[in-house]
Amino acid sequence: MRTGHFKDSYASLVALSDSRTAWVWTGLMALALLALPLLVGAYSLTLAVTILVAIVGAIGLNLLTGTTGLISLGQSGFLAIGAYTNGILLTDHGWPIWASLPAAGLVAAAISLLVGIPSLRLKGLYLAITTLAFSFIVNYLILFFEGVTHGSNGIFLGDVTIFGFDLSADRPLYYFTLAITVLVALGALNLGRTRIGRAWLAIRDHDIAARAMGIDLVRYKLLAFFMSSFFIGIAGALMSLQIRFINIDIFGFLLSIEALAIIILGGLGSVAGAILGTVFLTLLPEAIRLALSLIVDPNASTYSKYIYEIRGITYGVVMVLFLRFKPDGLIGLWRDAKKFFVNWPLAY
Amino acid sequence: MEYFALLLGSGLVIGATYGLVGMGFAIIYKATGVVNFAQGELLMLTAYIAFSLTQGLALSFFPLLLVTLPIAMALGVLLERIFIRPMLGEPAFSIVMVTVGLSVILRGLTIMIWGPDPHEFPIGLSTTVVHLGPVPFYPVQLYALGSLAIATGGAWAFFRFTRLGIAMRAVASNEAAALLMGIRVDRIHMLAWSFSAAIAALAGVLFAAMFKLGPTIWFEGLRSFPAVILGGLDSVLGAALGGLVVGVIENMAQGYLGQGLREIAGFVVIVLILMVRPYGLFGDRQIERV
Repeated sequence: MRTGHFKDSYASLVALSDSRTAWVWTGLMALALLALPLLVGAYSLTLAVTILVAIVGAIGLNLLTGTTGLISLGQSGFLAIGAYTNGILLTDHGWPIWASLPAAGLVAAAISLLVGIPSLRLKGLYLAITTLAFSFIVNYLILFFEGVTHGSNGIFLGDVTIFGFDLSADRPLYYFTLAITVLVALGALNLGRTRIGRAWLAIRDHDIAARAMGIDLVRYKLLAFFMSSFFIGIAGALMSLQIRFINIDIFGFLLSIEALAIIILGGLGSVAGAILGTVFLTLLPEAIRLALSLIVDPNASTYSKYIYEIRGITYGVVMVLFLRFKPDGLIGLWRDAKKFFVNWPLAY
Repeated sequence: MEYFALLLGSGLVIGATYGLVGMGFAIIYKATGVVNFAQGELLMLTAYIAFSLTQGLALSFFPLLLVTLPIAMALGVLLERIFIRPMLGEPAFSIVMVTVGLSVILRGLTIMIWGPDPHEFPIGLSTTVVHLGPVPFYPVQLYALGSLAIATGGAWAFFRFTRLGIAMRAVASNEAAALLMGIRVDRIHMLAWSFSAAIAALAGVLFAAMFKLGPTIWFEGLRSFPAVILGGLDSVLGAALGGLVVGVIENMAQGYLGQGLREIAGFVVIVLILMVRPYGLFGDRQIERV
């Protein structure tokens, strides 16, 4: 058992991690991630980029739903706003990517205030339904303002370069996405240990009690909407860089559900949980595809025909099983395992 | 004026299906305090089951309902037992998320069983147009309006006069107190799910008969949210009325304001309503204590 482990300063209480081992392993993982493009093929690298983009989005949603406890079913709307802003600024206005990417986040965040203000009075399910309504309205408006958004034609991204690297190639895109993802993860982790993060947690646990203790609900709820949508807008922009063709059909209701499934699977309110959840949930359909091609159908035509349905069912089963048996998610499993070994042979 | 009457008529018809789906939402919410996000999928699944029944047995409307409704109720009971009952006592957020998960499972399974192509769904009603004043109706549309009227009347009488209905209201108003009074709360939850599934089946059959039976029919569930919000999540009769209002508003928006507005008019309305009244027009305001 770890002994002599106590904290004697405020800084050590809020430190990201006080364990040298954790830092060493994090460093090793960073090295492995940096070396990944040299080791794996193009398909795996594409998958890795998909996972990184989804991590950014999941961290964003987690800030709102996991940390602050405001359920949102409409975050695909902000994803669409981010993707479209990025696409429009890059192709129609010739902005460089280093400017259009933060702009995508800022536009999504600014629009989120429009949703956030009416939602301040709403709670729980009413909020979930309002955000759902909002995402449908966004999709409609994007189709309606054809002059700006190209409507149903979609936007095709041309060549995007940063520091001379072509982002349509796999490796530069991977490193670019990795850098952004690390920044977002660090940003979210650090937000969690500030006054703001603690205020969000208090609001999640009981907003009236939080208010009685002097937390400005309006300010912090709006801030949660703002930060969450900022990250999700950035995820949308990254997504547009990866798929290169932005079309409104991508941003359907299933995407919002996938995001919720990710944070439930990973564990609500935890950045590491969001990352774990994304990795598992993105790889799960792949694993199913492999399993199906091995067992049932060598050419896996059933899979490709019903790919959306199989994915949907996977997300649904994951959500139901984890909510039922492991509401803390994968990160809860990890904590349990850690506690078991730390305390062994005692139960606690 | 004729145009207005036409829009009003077809708005009421589509509103009737919203109303039926909305009643399904409200019954479950009233009894269990959970919004069932799988209501649209319940509608979809039962409509497909009814479709298979018509293919196999060539049943007309009323016999079809006689067979479909019990199946739907059994399905509702089954889903409640498997998915919802084990979650009893968990926070509402978790249970709602379970219904969200359930919705994608049901949707995927239905599409995988019956295939992604839309079907015509004939239920043996004549297609001669009936004129009520200046407005032409298909018989099936009148059936939809009639079904909503019967379902509303039935629900009112059920909650007002029967033992079970009163027990359900008791559970809705205070679950713990109802349990102490000897009401089997778990059985009431089961019952709510089976009624809700039956109403969903009714709405599904009518909707599929009016339009088509396709893999996007589940969306009808989400489209009915404005109706429930308008009526207040816990008001069964309010949901029926809300459905009619939202149906008419959507049609008017489409007819007078612009193409495609039908898709979002209802959602715009609920965002506006919730800004002014955060608990819907007829919903109960909850008083919270810390």
